[in-house]
Amino acid sequence: MANKKRLLCFKCNKELELKKTDFSYLGHTFFTEVPACPRCGQVYISEELVKGRISEVEMQLEDK
Amino acid sequence: MAYNDLVADCLQNEPAFCTAKCPFNLDVRDFIGKLQQGRFNIAYKSYRQAVGFPGIVIALCGEPCSRVCILKDKGGSASLKLLEKASQDYARDTAPDQYNMPAKDKRIAIIGGGISGLACALRLLTKKYQLTVFEKSGRIGGHLHELLSPEIFMDDIRSQFIHEKYTLNLDTEIVSLESLDFDAIYIATGKGGNDFGLSLSADVAFASTKDGVFLGGSLSGSDTMHAIADGLNASNAIETWLKTGKMNHTVPAGGTRLMPEAVRPGESPAILPYNGVSYTKAEAVDEAKRCLKCSCDACVRYSPLMGYFQKFPKRITEEVQVTIQPSSLDGNATLATRLISTCDHCGLCKEVCPKVIDTGDFLLQSHKAMREKGAMPWAFHEFFLRDMDFSNTEAALVKPPPGIITSSYAFFPGCQLGASDPEYVTQSYRFLLKHFPGTALMLNCCGAPAEWAGDEPLHSRVIDNIRDDWDKLGQPVMILACASCKLMFRKHLPEIKAEFLYQLMADKGLQLAKRFTETTASVFDPCASRHEIQVQQSVRKLALDAGFTLEPLPLEGNLAGCCSYGGQTAIAHPPYAAYSVKQKTAQNDHPYITYCSNCRDIFAAAGKPSWHILDILFGLGSETRRQPGISERRNNRLKLKKKLLNEFWNENAIMENPIDKLFVSAELREKLNKEWMLEQDILIVIGNCEQSGEKLFDPEAGTFSGHMNVGNMTYWVEYRLTQDKVFELVNAYCHRMKIEEV
Repeated sequence: MANKKRLLCFKCNKELELKKTDFSYLGHTFFTEVPACPRCGQVYISEELVKGRISEVEMQLEDK
Repeated sequence: MAYNDLVADCLQNEPAFCTAKCPFNLDVRDFIGKLQQGRFNIAYKSYRQAVGFPGIVIALCGEPCSRVCILKDKGGSASLKLLEKASQDYARDTAPDQYNMPAKDKRIAIIGGGISGLACALRLLTKKYQLTVFEKSGRIGGHLHELLSPEIFMDDIRSQFIHEKYTLNLDTEIVSLESLDFDAIYIATGKGGNDFGLSLSADVAFASTKDGVFLGGSLSGSDTMHAIADGLNASNAIETWLKTGKMNHTVPAGGTRLMPEAVRPGESPAILPYNGVSYTKAEAVDEAKRCLKCSCDACVRYSPLMGYFQKFPKRITEEVQVTIQPSSLDGNATLATRLISTCDHCGLCKEVCPKVIDTGDFLLQSHKAMREKGAMPWAFHEFFLRDMDFSNTEAALVKPPPGIITSSYAFFPGCQLGASDPEYVTQSYRFLLKHFPGTALMLNCCGAPAEWAGDEPLHSRVIDNIRDDWDKLGQPVMILACASCKLMFRKHLPEIKAEFLYQLMADKGLQLAKRFTETTASVFDPCASRHEIQVQQSVRKLALDAGFTLEPLPLEGNLAGCCSYGGQTAIAHPPYAAYSVKQKTAQNDHPYITYCSNCRDIFAAAGKPSWHILDILFGLGSETRRQPGISERRNNRLKLKKKLLNEFWNENAIMENPIDKLFVSAELREKLNKEWMLEQDILIVIGNCEQSGEKLFDPEAGTFSGHMNVGNMTYWVEYRLTQDKVFELVNAYCHRMKIEEV
């Protein structure tokens, strides 16, 4: 799943656009921009983001 | 004794036997450590700092250390005296250090110009006190003149005093202390010398009964080496008096609590100097390397956790305590969270500790405390707790013996035996029914995952359920196949009598499908079998009866190590789990025979040929059988339940196998196993995407993707629907961070 691939929301048939999205883990919250449906808000997180920054922050919070 | 008291009793920092015997308390571990690296100069400096007059001490020391050296009967005591000489011979610079400090205004008198008085003077001079030495004869050196050529000791004295200035009054006999106007006095008038009517205070080092006056050296009965040491140490007592006006300086009790059994020396012949007198540099380094630098480090040598982190109980205690009760500004620093979650609870640390310090139990209690306050990351144990729940619900089965109402026995194979291979359980149950027809069946998990996760309420529920089932079956004797289950039963269900399957098998004997003559193997005792001598012997008997030649392992019997499954550390700390399994599989090159299915499967995954003893007894899998993946392990448990119901109770259970509807390539399956993602869960996520329509479409690849929370974990799936109504999984991954969707 490449980061820049073209994805459509199945329900709304809309192309995803970057949108500020909140995340939480172990009582901490953050936000970042991820692709999301401009109408219903359904998000997409790429494997690249998961294996990179997300996993890094998870580890940091577990060891904090 | 409480854990904290035990840790206070830890022998980690106890001096080596030689240091405890040394008049100067030379830190031999430090000195030798430097020589082992060929650092003669720095080694010499340490030595000189400890003894004051290295030339004199090398010449006259009677080497009391050699009498207590642990190598004494293992090739000869380490030759410390020759090593000390080598440090002097090969030091780049033997000149004493010059300290650039302002002069102090306190004046000290030393009565007696012998070596003890000079040692005291030397130490105080380097701290820039004003010193006056009174010597009744016309020369300094005292009784050294009777022991050594003046060339040797005078040279050393001159050399050590080279940067220092003091007033020396020769031919000056002090007859009364009243005539002296000094801030402190050290009386070292030698054997039979004038003590001015004073005696040593009972409990303060070198202090006389008069304020500011100290006694030491041969006057107090010390031999030459102790006389020098007295002078050096008295300087500290004098300084305490000068700084505080109190005569309360104490010296450590000395000696050592180190236990010889903590050090296990091998045979190591002493290095003799080729020229018969002194070492070459290479000889000195070789001899230094013989030294074991005796210390109590059994826990760090044996415990995989302490070895991995290189941390002793004291350090672990400190880190864990600040983690449980953080004192950081945000009150949230959890320094040792991962360390706490890394313990495999094998019990080896306690087993090898001469003080029986149970760091494993301390970590277990700490884990509970962390979970109770919600500070333990859920991700470390969620997979295993869900797996336990699966074993105790969908895959659970509690049945009285087929066709019999009362149960004399109940077979409790544990959750993972059937997960590894359902045949392990069905064949064992057949064996049991043949010999003990009144054997009921209990397919459950013993609750170990809840204990390891520190989840006490959940653990209590599991234990209560087992007790209830056991009661309903008429309180039968349990027959266990897993040492961890046995440990859990002993700990939490002591009212239940439990026996090992393998002991019954060894007693009754089996008709083997295959014999293993000309095969050498090693029995790997699971850590939980540590004190189960009978089962250890039974398994060896079964293996020998099967024709094996057995080679012992370094870690077996009471020293059994954990395969890395214990504590379920694989998610909390994957590099540690990999380290621990490598340590266990590298013990020798023979295949292992295990009697824990987790040990077997973990070794198989690490490429170590291993049988479960039931493979051998029933002619099941080979030593190279691939370990089942995590999804297969769940399927195996369902298959087992179905088969048992069918074969023994003639009940046809309809159990759907949903993952038949999912196609996963072998490569992707491997990835899912590594990331602890169950195909059963992936199918639920796909089902949710399909049902809700909440999915994304990639027009180029023709695939759908979507996500869903499985427990606390967020699963992502990418898939396509094939023509035969099977979902083909294209990719999947997961994260712990939760998406806060609006």
